[in-house]
Amino acid sequence: MSLVSRVRVTVQDRDQGRRPVGGKNLVNDPVLGRVLSLAGTHGAVEEVKTGDADDVSPDAALVKARLIIPLDPYIKAYGWDDWYSDSTWSIFRWTDDGKTFGQGPKWGVAQTGQNVAVFANTEKLKALGYDPANMPTTFDDFNAMLADIRQKLPKNEPVIQFGNNEGYGTIHMYGGIQAAYVDPQSVRDWIQHVPGSSYDTPENIQALKTYQEWASNGYFNSDYNAKKYDQSAADFGKGQGVFWMGGDWDSSIIKAGLGDNVMVMNIPPGASGTWASIGATSGPWHISAKTKYPDVAAAWLDYVIASPEAQKLMYAQQQIPAIAGAETPSGDPYLGQVAAAWQQVAGDDGLMLYTDWASPTMYNTLASHFQNLLAGKESPEDMAKAVQADWEKFDKTLK
Amino acid sequence: MAVSADAAAPAAAADAEVEKARRATQRAPGEPRNVAWLYILPGLAFYLLFTLAPLAHTVELSLFDWDGLTPGRYIGFANYREAFSDPLVRESFRHSAELIVFYALIPVVLGLLLTALLTRHPVRGFTFYRTALFLPQMLAGVVVAQAWVWIYASDGPLNELLRTIGLGSLARPWLGDFSWALPAIGGIGTWVTYGLCMVLFIAGAQNIPTSLYDAARVDGAGPLREFFAVTLPGLKNEIVVAFVLTTINALRSFDLIYNTNQGGPGTTTYVPSLYMYQNAFVYNRVGYAAAIAVILAATIFALAFLVIYLTGRGEER
Repeated sequence: MSLVSRVRVTVQDRDQGRRPVGGKNLVNDPVLGRVLSLAGTHGAVEEVKTGDADDVSPDAALVKARLIIPLDPYIKAYGWDDWYSDSTWSIFRWTDDGKTFGQGPKWGVAQTGQNVAVFANTEKLKALGYDPANMPTTFDDFNAMLADIRQKLPKNEPVIQFGNNEGYGTIHMYGGIQAAYVDPQSVRDWIQHVPGSSYDTPENIQALKTYQEWASNGYFNSDYNAKKYDQSAADFGKGQGVFWMGGDWDSSIIKAGLGDNVMVMNIPPGASGTWASIGATSGPWHISAKTKYPDVAAAWLDYVIASPEAQKLMYAQQQIPAIAGAETPSGDPYLGQVAAAWQQVAGDDGLMLYTDWASPTMYNTLASHFQNLLAGKESPEDMAKAVQADWEKFDKTLK
Repeated sequence: MAVSADAAAPAAAADAEVEKARRATQRAPGEPRNVAWLYILPGLAFYLLFTLAPLAHTVELSLFDWDGLTPGRYIGFANYREAFSDPLVRESFRHSAELIVFYALIPVVLGLLLTALLTRHPVRGFTFYRTALFLPQMLAGVVVAQAWVWIYASDGPLNELLRTIGLGSLARPWLGDFSWALPAIGGIGTWVTYGLCMVLFIAGAQNIPTSLYDAARVDGAGPLREFFAVTLPGLKNEIVVAFVLTTINALRSFDLIYNTNQGGPGTTTYVPSLYMYQNAFVYNRVGYAAAIAVILAATIFALAFLVIYLTGRGEER
């Protein structure tokens, strides 16, 4: 690695925040393109790599294959420590062998927050006799509210709009329930394979039971397994369902449909009182091990993640800057709610990360067992055992 | 005698040499010249480079534990042992067997039916029907899948139709239903492949001498009798080709399932190619994926040969 030093990158946004942040579009930007091609003769893409947007496992592979470098010297040089809480930082940490997640050097940094939140149709809430400004603050109250709404709504109208065709809708939906019953730290420990962690615990089985009840009580639209995630957000925007529980990255889809008749909140906490939810950051950015100019790449990361200009661009795309103390969006109360929900969870060390990160096969294991659970084809106990078996199979390969 | 024998031996040897030399330069009448290899070479090179070499490489990979990035580790037949005891592999192959009904059997029967309808009498707009019915075959799988996701949606055209004709109780989110998801995907497969069968059969039917039909009619054969006595035997070769092609399609079906259900709900629509893809590109288990691929390829070969053998096409060669 070259001598670590701070490099100042100044970039002017010519289009006043209309361009997407992150991804390849910026690389094509004439101004940035020039800055970045100064940085490396191979062009900009060589300098900074981003992981897969929804999957952290490529990071382990990149670390293991030594394709990226640790960012710790830059974190120190620039003072990036304050950007994230420890639980969020753990997303970017891997031991040098790429085997242990959540420990070791920090290999990446990310721009936006991903928080699975509760979106509510305020018009419907009012019609059902609820005050959107005075929503439940405990999970039990929230659960009771769902049951009450089920009673009041016509039978063919869902309480919660749900799209699970791809199989990740259910992972997100369950996150909210799990957060109420299980300590977020133990969920993170399980994902990061801290010895002794288990999915097969009484608390988690209780959460799985509650989830199964949501299905058997008919809170969801009956076609949830056939409906795509984003489609369910769009349908919620069309007024189908009182709630939508999903990723805040779809907040613009919902806003486009419901306009001002929508509010955002985190699922209320269980007995622990911790505001927790399933979520993480957007795909992390890395510095290539092959670059001759890591300092310049680090300067770019500093700019693209924390600069006021970058934050403005993220908000323009209805995305939430991940860093602590990010500016609040001006003149957009809805986006302000989305940002506040992220800061609430991230600040309370309540970000549980995505449970499908627990093993390479976990995504499909969770997706298919959740579908069986909700259809009443599998008991919560059996599901907990099956999921834990997947975890243990992978856990052995880490030893 | 000894002398003459001694003299004869070299002479015979020389004769043999001459004969060998003659054989080397002259060929029996009709025997192809070696230059033919030159003509085959470009195609052969491509085939070797892009089909046989990857196939051999896949077989090699299947003997390794490899994550696709770091160096692999030779593990012999462990991947195969695991695959044969993996319940999801078995379930995937069972689903494939079910899909053969939808991708091969039903399209061949439908194709024969349409051929009988379209060839017996001149049909107005014959070319239009033929083109329209063949069209699904030409669409990209992703497009087809997206269109059918919409058709099968709970408020999509299929369910609306069922409700309109009073069969609303049958309406359901087809792709989200545990029992109906696989048949629903099979239905898409039928829609895609029957056009291919039909075009093959119509082309074949045009090669059946009309004198056979005339003879059958003179003998008083009705449409049904005529179909079984003349058309069906006359299309034997085309039916074999159609079966082989559609069975291969069924076994390696991926795009429709990937773009509709990705194996869900539960594991009800898992097929070998999807599981192979997940292992290779999601789970970073390239060796295991290669083993599944080899098993799948062997199954396809075996089934194709079985179809050809059972229909006796091999004997004609």
